[in-house]
Amino acid sequence: MNGRRMRALVLAVLAAVPAALAAQEGAGAGNVAVRLSARGLPGDLVQRVQRIATDAAAHGVPAEPIADKAIEGWAKHVPAARIVAALRAFADRMTEAGAAVRSGGLARAPGSVIAAAAEAMGGGLKPDEVSSVVRAAPTAEEVAPGLSVAASLTAQGLASRQAVTIVVDAMVHKRPMSQLLDLPSVARSMHDQGMSPGEIGEKLLPHHGDHGPGGEHHGDRNDRPPGPDHPASPVHP
Amino acid sequence: MEPSDGTIVRRVLDGDVEQYRFLVERYRAQFGRYALGLVGDRDAAQDAMQEAFIRAFDALATCRNPDRFGAWFFRILANQCRNVVARRRDVVDLDTVEAAGADRADAVVDRGELAERLEAALARLTLEQREAFVMKHVDGRSYEEMAELLGVGTDALKMRVYRARDTLRELLEDVR
Amino acid sequence: MTDGRAFGPGTQRYLDGEPSPALGSGAEPSPGERAAADRLIALARAYAEGLEPVSAAMDEAVMAAVRRRGAVPADRGAWRWFVRAHRVSVRPVWMAALAAAAALVVWLAPRRPATGTRAELVVAAASAADTVFVRFELVAPAARSVAVAGSFNGWRPDALPMVRGAAGIWSVTVPLPIGEHRYEFVVDQTRWVTDPTAHAQVDDGFGGRNSVIIVGPKGLVRS
Repeated sequence: MNGRRMRALVLAVLAAVPAALAAQEGAGAGNVAVRLSARGLPGDLVQRVQRIATDAAAHGVPAEPIADKAIEGWAKHVPAARIVAALRAFADRMTEAGAAVRSGGLARAPGSVIAAAAEAMGGGLKPDEVSSVVRAAPTAEEVAPGLSVAASLTAQGLASRQAVTIVVDAMVHKRPMSQLLDLPSVARSMHDQGMSPGEIGEKLLPHHGDHGPGGEHHGDRNDRPPGPDHPASPVHP
Repeated sequence: MEPSDGTIVRRVLDGDVEQYRFLVERYRAQFGRYALGLVGDRDAAQDAMQEAFIRAFDALATCRNPDRFGAWFFRILANQCRNVVARRRDVVDLDTVEAAGADRADAVVDRGELAERLEAALARLTLEQREAFVMKHVDGRSYEEMAELLGVGTDALKMRVYRARDTLRELLEDVR
Repeated sequence: MTDGRAFGPGTQRYLDGEPSPALGSGAEPSPGERAAADRLIALARAYAEGLEPVSAAMDEAVMAAVRRRGAVPADRGAWRWFVRAHRVSVRPVWMAALAAAAALVVWLAPRRPATGTRAELVVAAASAADTVFVRFELVAPAARSVAVAGSFNGWRPDALPMVRGAAGIWSVTVPLPIGEHRYEFVVDQTRWVTDPTAHAQVDDGFGGRNSVIIVGPKGLVRS
């Protein structure tokens, strides 16, 4: 197939796929009701979600991720009461996440970053670990991917502190973002080759001379937990 | 007088592994209810605790502050318990639990059933909310203690506990 | 964030065991609230008392494991960084299946793929610089329909139908921006299932799981 024909096919695919590629930044709490109604959520549920979103926005928490989560729940046929409970927990987690992100030095983080931090914390990252990643990121654009990678490694069975050390080290040593984004794939294929999460963590941890991993962490009030701090087998459906 | 954590850890590291038993007894007593309350199932909680103690032993050489073994061990235990709960959530059919609860709404509930209803409701909380609620109301800890053990600020912990209470109230409204 | 069911701030403080505010100040819990709060405390107490403690037999099981080890393992200290920068490669068997399947598989290459045993999944150059094509696959021979729904398409179960190929393997290839994506497969329009080959499964907040993939500029490794 020659280049021109391939390109035409690609453009056709791109046009046909109704993918929400653009970030929905800045739409604000007012847009929530419109989006939800458009997706068929019933009026009283829309109102409850709107209340949560408005309240959240007043606390500096982004509204769009809350709307996204409501849509997700509705698409999955989750009962309304459970959707509302989940959204409240999510909003709370985003409040905590916002504090952790600000603590890491990012004063006015975009909603997508706070949502990424909230999801990462939902996946097991502690607030101080989130702050570490924020602090280490060379630019604001690398915060969300860094957090996602740390959370993904944690979900694959590495201890969160270990996962964060790996990410922070990569950022501090200015490794390209592409390398960072490859880590979950690499960890996954190591797993498929039969390595345990402990072994994977060992392979990915940086060399620190005599200090051992995690030397640059701050705010660690308790002692460093041991390396293989996770289930024997990674999580599988 | 009982030896301190630090003393016992140092003895174990020096080679007297039998001393480790004192730490196991001490922290089974201290954190057993946390494990039970978070995991909900006694056998699974016991397994999680056992596994945590063994991992702690294996990693004892990396415990930088032996005098604070308890807080260090708590992190290992918390991770172990959370993993057990996360894995079990794949299996538990929450709708079945909810339906069973609704059936009993009108019946006279005895203490055993009360506990079951609360267990079913606790299973509906997020992991963090459940953990915070258990530590506050089953374990009876102060927010400061919880902050110390979990590495999370008291404001965030209060939020989790308040949310848990609200959700539990809603789920258990019919219980008298 | 309040609605009818939530405890008021005064009640929360009461539940926290804080000293009650002055009578008549308006901040103390109403009798109804207080009753609900007391009920919750009573329930928690009954639950706590009903907990069968972790038995001392566990101590013996731990010590048995400890004795088997003999001594505390040594601190292994620093480990090496093993990950080299490398191009993500796709195995030839996978590529052959791609060609054979009826699924629409498209990728852009600035050059032709190298002859030999390996081909490469390369970043699309003509479309947005940070968009990559990702192939989703699910083995589901008994399914009548399979689709993928996720954060990249508003969780619409009907937007990205997959095509059934050989051996009951359903697939679709989708352009995605680099970064994190959450999704599930929707089987027969009713069953939401996770992807066993994803990087991770996470709590979706509703009692279920989402699959998560992190897409780098060079695509995904699938083994």
